[in-house]
Amino acid sequence: MLINAEKVKRNKAIDKAARMFFLAMALLSSSFIVILVLFIFMKGISPFLPNYQYGTVNLIDFLFGMTYRQDQKLYGVGFIVINTLISSFAALLISLPISVLTALFIVKIAPKQLSGLMQAVVELLASIPSIVYGVFAAGVLTDFVKWLASLFNVTTAGGSSLLAVILLLAIMIFPTITSMAITAIGAVDRDLEHASLALGATETQTNFKVVLISAKSGIFAGAILGLGRAFGEATAVSMVAGNKLYGPTFSLFDITKTLTSTMLAGLKETTGLDYDIRFSVGIVLLVVIFGSNWLLNLVKQKVGNM
Amino acid sequence: MKAYFKVRDLDLYYGEKQALNKVNMDIYRNKVTAFIGPSGCGKSTFIRCLNRMNDLIEGCRVEGEIMANGEDIYSSKTDVVNLRTRVGMVFQKPNPFPMSIYDNIAYGPRCQGLKDKKKLNEIVERSLKQAALWDEVHDRLHESAMALSGGQQQRLCIARAIAMEPEVILMDEPTSALDPIATSKIEELVDELKKDYTIVIVTHSMQQASRISDYTAFFLLGEVIEYDLTSTVFKNPSDKRTEDYITGRFG
Repeated sequence: MLINAEKVKRNKAIDKAARMFFLAMALLSSSFIVILVLFIFMKGISPFLPNYQYGTVNLIDFLFGMTYRQDQKLYGVGFIVINTLISSFAALLISLPISVLTALFIVKIAPKQLSGLMQAVVELLASIPSIVYGVFAAGVLTDFVKWLASLFNVTTAGGSSLLAVILLLAIMIFPTITSMAITAIGAVDRDLEHASLALGATETQTNFKVVLISAKSGIFAGAILGLGRAFGEATAVSMVAGNKLYGPTFSLFDITKTLTSTMLAGLKETTGLDYDIRFSVGIVLLVVIFGSNWLLNLVKQKVGNM
Repeated sequence: MKAYFKVRDLDLYYGEKQALNKVNMDIYRNKVTAFIGPSGCGKSTFIRCLNRMNDLIEGCRVEGEIMANGEDIYSSKTDVVNLRTRVGMVFQKPNPFPMSIYDNIAYGPRCQGLKDKKKLNEIVERSLKQAALWDEVHDRLHESAMALSGGQQQRLCIARAIAMEPEVILMDEPTSALDPIATSKIEELVDELKKDYTIVIVTHSMQQASRISDYTAFFLLGEVIEYDLTSTVFKNPSDKRTEDYITGRFG
C-alpha cells in the first residue's frame, strides 16, 4: 500500500505544530507594537494627569501652545506640529515629481545597462544611514542655504533653517519613493502600452497618459511611505533644524523645530517634566503620522479606483 | 476589387530565427480577411507587421515590402504614429486603460491634439454606437472602464480603435479570452464594421474564420500555404496541408 496511516498521522501533527509556531511568532511581533504604543501612551499621558509630581500640564496649552521653552516651563507643540507638516509636505512636493520622473526614466527610457546602474544607485541611497545624510546636510546644505540667503540679504543661523530641513528630507525620501515608483511602473501591463501606441500615441504620451496613470496607486503608496520617513526622521533633521522656541516657522531661512528634533534635543541631559513631555510629543507625532496616512489613503482610494 | 495592403516577399527575423518567409498577399478593402494556422505559425507576427507593432520587439528585422494604400510602410519616410492612426488594432486580451469609458474612447483623438469638447462627445457617441456598446454604457460614460465585463471591454477596445477613424482594423485573436455569447456579439460586430473598414483578423478558431471572413490565409511555419476566398479554402483547398489542417488532422 502506498499510503502509510502512521505517516499521515505524523504529518498532520507536524502541520499542526508548525501552525502553532507561526501563530506564536505572529502574536509576538504584533504584541510588540501594542506594548510600544501602550508604553509611549502611558508615559506621555502622565504630565496631564492631576497628580503628576512635577506639576500638571494643561493639555490644551500643550496641544495648541505656540511656545516651547524649558526654562519657562512652557510646553506648547502647536507650532511644532505645523512646522513638521510644512517641512515634510514641502519635501514630498519636491521629491515626488523628481522620483517619479527618475523611475520612469529608469524603467522605460534608459538603456538596459544604465537603468541597472541607476537602480543600484537608488538602492544604495536608500541604505545610507541618516546620520550620514545629517553630516552632509550640516556641512553642505547649510553652506548652500547661507549662500542663497546672502543673495536676498538675509542672515541665517549658520545655514540651519527650514529650507535646509526641507532639502535634506527631500533627498532622504527620494530613494524610498523612487524604489516604489520603479516597482509600480514596472508592473504596468505591457498590453496597455501597446494599446496606446497602436492608437497612434507617441511614447511620451504613452508614458505620461497611460503608464503613470496605471501606476498611480503604487506611486501613491510610495509617497505615503516617503512622507512617513520625512515625519519620522530625527537625527539628520536635528542637525540642521535649529531650535526655534516659538512659531510656526514660515520663512525658509528661519530656523525651525520639528516634533522629532524636539524629542531628541538634549534627551540624555534632562529629567522630570522636560523628559516625560517628550513622550507626549511622541504621541502627537504618532497621531500626526497615522492621521496623514489615513488622509492620504482616503485620497488614494479616490484617485486610485479607476 | 482594390487591395489596401500589398505585401511582397516579406521576410521577418527575430534575431537569427526567421519567423516569416516570403509572404505575398493582397488584402482587400472592406473585406474581412482571416489568418488561421497552428500556434507559432507566424499569423500574429504577420498582422503586427501591418501597423509596425513589431518595431517594439528588440531584435526584430523585416525585409520586403508592404504597401498600405500605395505607401511603403517600412520606408524610412513613413511616420509610424501616422500609420497607426490609419491602421488600428484590437488585442487578444481586452486592455482598456484604467480610466473612464469616455476617456478611453477620447484617448486617441486627444493624443492627436483634439480638445473641442463637443467634437469629442460626438466621437465618443459615434464610436460606441458603431461598436454596439452605446446602449449598455451611455448612462455611465464617466465610470471606470475596468468595471465592464470582458466582452464589453473588448467592444470598448474596438470603439477606441474606431474613434481614430482608421481605414483598417487589425484584430489579433479578439475573442480568445471571451465566452461564446460575447464572442458571437463581436462576430456580429465584425460583419457590421466591414461596411466601413477593412478588417484583418487572426483567429484560432476555424469555425470563426469560416463564419465571418471573406478571405482566409492559412499560415504554416512562417509561410502562407494558401490564400483565397474563405469558401474556397474551406470547401475546396488546393494544398494538402490546408486540407489536413482544416479537417483537424493536425494543429
